[in-house]
Amino acid sequence: MASSLPAFVARRRPDWESLEALLTRQRAGTLRLEELRTLDVLYRRAAADLAHAQTFHPGTDVHRFLNQLCARAYAAIYQPPRERWAALLAFFRQDFPRTLRAHGAFVAASAGLFLLGILLGAVVVLLEPRGAELLVPENMRDYISRKQLWTDGLLSVTPPGAVASGIATNNLTVTIVTFASGLLLGLGTVFVLLNNGVHLGSVAALCVHEGLGSKLFDFIAAHGPVELSIIVIAGGAGLRVGQTLIDPGELPRGQALMLRGRESVKLVLGCAPFLALIAVVEGFISPGDFFPWWVKTALGLALGALFWGYLLRAGSAGPRAGAEVG
Amino acid sequence: MSPPTSPSLDVATPERVSLSLPVAGIGYRCLAYLVDLALLFFFWVLAYFVFTLLVSDVVGFFTGLSGLVRTLMVLGVFATQWVYWTLCEVLMGGQTPGKRLVGIRVVRVDGSPVGVLESAVRNLVRVVDSFPLIYAVGCLSVLLTRQHRRLGDLLAGTLLVREERIDLDKYTATAAPSVALPSADVTARLGSGDVELILSFLARAPWLEPAARTRLGTRLVERYGGLDAQQHATLLAAPGGVESFLRARVQAER
Repeated sequence: MASSLPAFVARRRPDWESLEALLTRQRAGTLRLEELRTLDVLYRRAAADLAHAQTFHPGTDVHRFLNQLCARAYAAIYQPPRERWAALLAFFRQDFPRTLRAHGAFVAASAGLFLLGILLGAVVVLLEPRGAELLVPENMRDYISRKQLWTDGLLSVTPPGAVASGIATNNLTVTIVTFASGLLLGLGTVFVLLNNGVHLGSVAALCVHEGLGSKLFDFIAAHGPVELSIIVIAGGAGLRVGQTLIDPGELPRGQALMLRGRESVKLVLGCAPFLALIAVVEGFISPGDFFPWWVKTALGLALGALFWGYLLRAGSAGPRAGAEVG
Repeated sequence: MSPPTSPSLDVATPERVSLSLPVAGIGYRCLAYLVDLALLFFFWVLAYFVFTLLVSDVVGFFTGLSGLVRTLMVLGVFATQWVYWTLCEVLMGGQTPGKRLVGIRVVRVDGSPVGVLESAVRNLVRVVDSFPLIYAVGCLSVLLTRQHRRLGDLLAGTLLVREERIDLDKYTATAAPSVALPSADVTARLGSGDVELILSFLARAPWLEPAARTRLGTRLVERYGGLDAQQHATLLAAPGGVESFLRARVQAER
């Protein structure tokens, strides 16, 4: 028998209020075991009340109040497992490299696009040096025409710590943009990859044309391999998202996107600490003449080999994993 | 009462009850974003003044900074741009300070709280949603999707639900002792929709224009009172009589 609305509220309200109080304390984390049991019981009663309200008093404030109360309790009771340090460690030992290998084709496609951009930029500038006026930013052209690299002034003006953190955040931003623009049907990622490639290729070609090739190589050698790899990986993640949007397969587009989105963002998050490390190299070691060119080259090759060795080997045979990381 | 067209998130719990939560639309989202933006802005204004006071020259601010402070600044800019949102959402149960003020919350599409990964996804995609200006892509996406989700929400599998502050006192408030009023003739029972209508009128009456208050109260009495013309006239003549009568009518439903 349906009781009237005021009677229902008057009878059940004390329970709801104690459930609310318990939920507030649950969020603060000061709950004892027996209180936890009470919370469980009260939640079940509130759920029954919600069912009652749905049937006899739909659309009233009580109905909405109970919806909200049950949702709070539901969220508190059915919480997702907390990510802890162990999970973080497992992520870098297995999850990240495995995800990368699973998306190898996309990373390869991304690398192809990036290389295509570099080739385009380089060929245009080498065949027709005036093309640099179109492709290379003006302040860089000024530096190059004075037979200087824009990185020469880097350390004399700002302390290397600030340079490194600035580079790290800038590279992270580029990485995130490369990935996220994959949501524009993948076209965004394609554009960013080609654009960055053309930029890099044209600058390099201009430097070679002006006789600064060895200086540029000297600057890029130490950090280039890893940094460019990371951009390519982020591009692969972006292409993956774009591909899901165009061809979601058996699932509805929304669900496919959700599923693949979680996978691809792992690639971006996994790259973050390596970007920070490589920024330290780029800020402290790459500029200036303190280290001879062969040291930088050897360091760059070693870091690149370590990075890709880790990506291709780690986590492939269960818990045994190479933890050594560039 | 919310109009039936307003979108909601429906969750089937293991207790075999379906929850339905109201989804936050574009207005709530913009408001929360503006509050967060203002917070970050004031943080940077404050940081600027603290730094300038420490270095004690206003114009030569940037040249006077040490390497450490400059590093901190670069990291700070990065943190306010990228890390702030995810950190807040994970630590504050799906809310940033702006969202908490406005009363909205990020949840997964199944109603459970967001984890680190989902929050990271939806906030990394913020950069595409804000493309090209003033969140044009995000706003379009919010307006066009059924549950008002931006691209970041679509990719992460999250959405924003609204938290309403609902006062249950109006159901239990007792009628003030009134002078001899005609008592209601309780032949017809009130449905819960009718009770809700009368109670929401009573809850809002103190803030209504006097003319509108009298007009609405009279119409409710005509509809639910079941009084004859004589009783009706005495009721209208008594000050506050209409509302005491309506409250007594609802109380009689117990």
